[in-house]
Amino acid sequence: MSKWIFLLLLSLTTTIAFSQQTVTGTVVDDANLPIPGVNISIKGTTQGTVTNFDGEFTLDNVSLNDIIVFSYVSFETQEIEFTGQQTINVKLEVSSEALDEVVVIGYGSSSKRKVTGAIATVSSESIEAIDPLNVAQALQGTSAGVNVTPNSGAPGAESNIRIRGVSTNGNSAPLIIVDGFQYDGGLNSLNPQDIESITVLKDAQAAIYGSAGANGVVLIETKSGERNQKAKVTYNTYVGLQETSRELSLLNSNEYVLLLNESYANAGLTSPAPSLSDIENDTDWQDEVFETAEVISHNISVVGGSENTDYSMSASHLDQEGIVGSDKSSFKRTTVKLSINTDVKDFLNLKANVFHTNNRSKGINSFGLGSVLFNAINIAPTISRDRDNLDGTIDLGNEVVNPLTQLRNTFNDFESNRLSGSFQAELDYVKDFKLTARYGFNTSKLNNREFFPEFNFGSSKVFNRDQNQVNLNQQDFYDYTFDLFHTIDKTFFDDHDVKFVLGMTVFRSHGEGLFGSRTDVPNNSFNFADLGTATGTGDNQTNGSFVSEFRRLSYFGRVEYSFKDRYLLSGILRRDTSSRFGPNNQTAWFPSVTTGWIISDEEFFDTGEWFNFAKLRASYGELGNDNIGDFLFLSLLNGEAEAILGENQELTNGQALGPLANPNIKWETSKKLDIGLDLSFFNSDLDVTIDYYSNEREDLLIPNIPVSGIFGTAAPGSSSPTINAGTVENKGIEVALNYNKEISKDFSFSVGYNISTIDNEVTQVNGTEFLEGGQFSVGQLPPSRMQEGEPIGFFYGLKTDGIFQTQAEVDAHPTQSTLGGPEAQPGDIRFVDVNADGIIDEADRTNIGDPIPDVTMGFNLSFRYKNFDFSAYSFANIGNEIVRNFERDQPNVNVLSRRLDRWTGPGTSNSEPRVTAGPNTNRIFSDYFVEDGDFLRIQTISIGYFFPEQILKTIGASSIKLYAKADNVFTFTDYSGFDPTASTGEPIGGGIDFGFYPVPRTYILGLNVNF
Amino acid sequence: MKTHKFYLSLILLTLFISCSDDFVEEDPPFAVTSGTFFESESDFNNALIGAYDLTQATYINVILGEIASDNTHAGGESATDVVGWQQIDRMAQTPINADLDDVWDFNFAGVQRAAFIIENQDNIDFDGKAQIIAEARFLRAYFNFELVKWFGAIPIKPEGQFQLGEELSIPRSPLEDVYTFIEDDLQLAIADLAPQAPQVGRASKAAAQALLGKVFLYQDKFTESAQQLQAVIDSGQFHLFGTQEGEDFLDLFEFSAENGPESVFEVQYSGAQGAGFDCLQCSEGNVAVGFSGVRGYIGPVYESGFGFNLPTQETVDAYTNNDLRKELSILDIEAWANDTGATFNIGNQDPITGHTGFYNKKYIPRQNDNLPDANITHPNNYRAIRYADVLLMAAEAYNRAGTGTNDDLARQYLNQVRARAGLQPVNSSGANLLNNIYNDRRLELMGEGHRFFDLVRTGRAEQFIDGFQAPKNNVFPIPLEEIQFSQGNWEQNPGY
Repeated sequence: MSKWIFLLLLSLTTTIAFSQQTVTGTVVDDANLPIPGVNISIKGTTQGTVTNFDGEFTLDNVSLNDIIVFSYVSFETQEIEFTGQQTINVKLEVSSEALDEVVVIGYGSSSKRKVTGAIATVSSESIEAIDPLNVAQALQGTSAGVNVTPNSGAPGAESNIRIRGVSTNGNSAPLIIVDGFQYDGGLNSLNPQDIESITVLKDAQAAIYGSAGANGVVLIETKSGERNQKAKVTYNTYVGLQETSRELSLLNSNEYVLLLNESYANAGLTSPAPSLSDIENDTDWQDEVFETAEVISHNISVVGGSENTDYSMSASHLDQEGIVGSDKSSFKRTTVKLSINTDVKDFLNLKANVFHTNNRSKGINSFGLGSVLFNAINIAPTISRDRDNLDGTIDLGNEVVNPLTQLRNTFNDFESNRLSGSFQAELDYVKDFKLTARYGFNTSKLNNREFFPEFNFGSSKVFNRDQNQVNLNQQDFYDYTFDLFHTIDKTFFDDHDVKFVLGMTVFRSHGEGLFGSRTDVPNNSFNFADLGTATGTGDNQTNGSFVSEFRRLSYFGRVEYSFKDRYLLSGILRRDTSSRFGPNNQTAWFPSVTTGWIISDEEFFDTGEWFNFAKLRASYGELGNDNIGDFLFLSLLNGEAEAILGENQELTNGQALGPLANPNIKWETSKKLDIGLDLSFFNSDLDVTIDYYSNEREDLLIPNIPVSGIFGTAAPGSSSPTINAGTVENKGIEVALNYNKEISKDFSFSVGYNISTIDNEVTQVNGTEFLEGGQFSVGQLPPSRMQEGEPIGFFYGLKTDGIFQTQAEVDAHPTQSTLGGPEAQPGDIRFVDVNADGIIDEADRTNIGDPIPDVTMGFNLSFRYKNFDFSAYSFANIGNEIVRNFERDQPNVNVLSRRLDRWTGPGTSNSEPRVTAGPNTNRIFSDYFVEDGDFLRIQTISIGYFFPEQILKTIGASSIKLYAKADNVFTFTDYSGFDPTASTGEPIGGGIDFGFYPVPRTYILGLNVNF
Repeated sequence: MKTHKFYLSLILLTLFISCSDDFVEEDPPFAVTSGTFFESESDFNNALIGAYDLTQATYINVILGEIASDNTHAGGESATDVVGWQQIDRMAQTPINADLDDVWDFNFAGVQRAAFIIENQDNIDFDGKAQIIAEARFLRAYFNFELVKWFGAIPIKPEGQFQLGEELSIPRSPLEDVYTFIEDDLQLAIADLAPQAPQVGRASKAAAQALLGKVFLYQDKFTESAQQLQAVIDSGQFHLFGTQEGEDFLDLFEFSAENGPESVFEVQYSGAQGAGFDCLQCSEGNVAVGFSGVRGYIGPVYESGFGFNLPTQETVDAYTNNDLRKELSILDIEAWANDTGATFNIGNQDPITGHTGFYNKKYIPRQNDNLPDANITHPNNYRAIRYADVLLMAAEAYNRAGTGTNDDLARQYLNQVRARAGLQPVNSSGANLLNNIYNDRRLELMGEGHRFFDLVRTGRAEQFIDGFQAPKNNVFPIPLEEIQFSQGNWEQNPGY
């Protein structure tokens, strides 16, 4: 069908005749002063010119009835129809509002006035003020409905971006589009200072991206030059110091010994602790582990343009060390970017962008049982910092080792090289008709080297190695996106604007990897850790590889129609075919409709001084998701089959089925509804956006969904199938307020506030009652669930009802010995018999919290007074819970100082159970371990000083700014762990804190120079 | 100019129409699919290795079977460490028990992998195919027998693998049908299996006969049982380790005696590959061994572990002092520490499930250079069916066959086992002899995972195991998730 329309259009090109003329003129402002650099173009083409320094222009090849467009930053755009005039003189009005700002919407753009979808934008000013290390941080708190949580505070850690809640338990990450092409590199490989703006498509408008858009789309535009612009050179540098934002309150040696003695006495046992007088050490392990670490950044960029070409290039280098392990946990990023945009002919525009990134990082065991911080929390303060082997100290279980020794024995090196970019040609083959072809690509090469030295941390420690080992891992990925689309932009009978986009996208992604591992590295040293130098022989010399292949073919169309510039309607239809689904389900259609009504343009609407603009929006659409593994509809012989056979007991490899196939697997569909209102008040100083949204995600592609064990999914290398097995709903309201005011030439300020609510509910789980995930403590049942009627990933455990004060209370309560431990004693936690069956057991578990915030907020303030500017960014999460899981369940480990308030007799405490080294059920997952995760974080405070003109002249710079900034300044929270944002980000199993590497507090001094 | 535009447009148009849906029709690169498998002899061999792989996962049947019995305490770090094991030690298991679910899942995974071979047996023909199919049948019977011991009636599908959806239609077959199915597999296996296994670690004819003898014994089919076990004895392939030149009985569970003259079927383990806690069944090592080790142990001979599966004082007292098997089976850690200066830690101190001072010496970690996590990759092979077991089963079958005429043979087999343990022969017969057999069976096979099921099948569990209720505890509960997956197709075992 689409092909025929295209042919028809093509045939039109060759039949239309042209008569062309030249026109000249001058452009001036209100004060009749000439404006240089005004863009003049013929509507619907790339044909155009710009005014010279005297505001004069000459435009060739103008045809009768062409619309000539005059546009310049902060002036109202003017359109004049060419009726044969030889001279056109124009006076541009200063723009009174930001409503004509261009808004990118994917495969085209719109204006803020006319856009009909729900979007959030982050401007270059905000990005500059926040000046983040990772682009994702610029979205947190600045965009309503967008929640960003760092994976870790470790240098180079990625962040999880969630748009309007968690809607799938597969991959919830939004699609990232950089300058029009799909970017898969991870946001930490982009240089934040290259970013001009970020636009988030939150609703059905993202349907133009079809199956890739269900999680929302983040459109990133990088900085570009302007035509006829003198080269502008910007140099930015900063140095900073980072420190931990928090240390936990733990017991010192005396407190530790006293509490340990009490816990053993309570169990009728002899304490293994030294007597108080024999305490030799009082090690503050957190002080030992945390350090002040440096961060340094340099960035240089040049933008400019001539009459037909503009360009932009930049180079940057970032060097960040970690607050734990300093150089053992570091991140270095070097980026280079080049983009060129040129009009080869008046009908042909070419554009090329190339990004190169080199990331080099080292990491430590940072989030989980046995991580460095987990050990720093749990190791006894009575142990000396120099004690590498803990034998002869005190039994701390098998995971807890000296964290300093652990750091010293950590060796790895991760390096990635990425080259990404796009090449685009735009062909104006006939007036109002435009063809665009674009090839975007990502190539990346990842090299990972790990070395585990031979070391003994003490008897039975899980990190012990009798033999050293080197692991190498090299992966290559390549993907391309080829877009070919056709745009028609035409006004009929003055009032009818139609914009029509028709196109196709081809996507292919291919990956290959090689892995190798070998033992006996010479000298037990990282310096020689290579497969070639290692001398090990035998079964532990292993290798492996993988190949992946994914393809998608899409056709799409979009019609945007506006009547009288006030009644807006657009429709999108996209057809996707994906290699991830079997022959019966390969293809799916994704339709959407968005509408808008600019009420303030109606005659009945009295736009007075204080009420300037009102637009009502509504959108509905279906989007898809194919973010799953490849070829899940086929049974592959990629399981693990290893048996020990033969006289010499040799490991012998065979073949076995891998993950259970699901031949009927099909697309996940997201049904998005949005109703919104855009308002402007007080000469557009105050902008208000209000949205109601409802996203229903159906046929959730749930990976690894539990099925009956009879299908053999427990076999090595096998796993449960991916099944379309559920529905999740996210509903909520978003409000964003922005107030900008220029009080005088010397003083201006702006205030922004946004608030979003999320109501997340799983409405259906097929084939099973619930899905489980996450981990709490050791050997306990999974703590997180997805279950009908509850939020996704809610915490499932026992409910507590204070502490047993007396034996009589214990006797009156249902037995707790059915939990697998002994009967409770006074001082133990009293659990609630939720199902009222007279005993406390696993069946009494219930919803005891969830990790999804009910409300998220952002508050931003900035002002400028004379040569100073100030900005502050903050955000808050309310209504989420977090699980405290960094305390090892072991009788001799150190504990939080809250344990000093333990129960010691009737009436002493109704919240902290007794200490005891004896058996008890107090450690079973219950709401005792679930805390409020509410927080308010002052994210950024920055003060800048602009050097005065006189100094600039002597130096020859156009602007110099010196600034001081603090990041992650303070967090208001009741949470007792390091960081209330701690989460793995997993839909089921997130919000569980294993000793999260906290996001550092950073103090930065920076300089920004423009020439 | 015009023509340029025309050609450019034409090129783009060509690109547009040259792409069609077959662009996405790709085969998985360099991968084998089930549609292209079982087309060569090596495919069958490779699939068989996959089925043997799951025998390693039966470590859980062994350690948990022992904990369930009166032989040992659960132990561990604390009274709630591996809650599922602690509950079973107290006989307080419920359908919500992740570890019982592992028993179900791991053994069915073995059934499914063996069935994958059996359902494709007619794909091609080659010399030696019968042997491979026979081994697959042996393995399927092995896993199904484990399942029936634990759960009673189970779903079966003789023709091949269970397919998604069949959990709703295939019922739990009655016990007799499950046993008939197991017997059929073993009879077919016996017919084709070579007397000598093609490789160390694989099943021989005698292994299948011994297993079939055991399967009959569990059904009180004593004559049939004795017949199969007698065939194993008559094969002359085996003798009791320690009874011939150069053998020391006390080495029976050391690495040096693995796959020795007493081994009828042995599950093979290796420490040559690392493993992780996220997939214990993937380990090539014997997970039960590390879990049984002494916590924080520093000293000679042994390595440390997690301190589970602790023999009780009553168990230790069951041995007479001159019984060599006490030395073979029990490590008294206090005495050992006194002798050698070894140090260790104590975990769980609960009186019902905790520390006893004794460890299951047959299967605790010996010093070796296995790979990390060293606690779960110990290479100790599990002697699944050993000749002493065959002799004791034969003795029991002959005695209980009821004719009385076979007590001589029964007594003779029992006394062979006793003699090796340094004990005097018994002269009893009838019920007394049976009691002697039962007693020696416990002492001989201590720590090897048989006791609980021996007590259940002989109706003595309630008498010996604290908290055991017959008939409820004769089988374990079907995991709750399985009941839910089947949407009522499978009923819970009575009492749970």
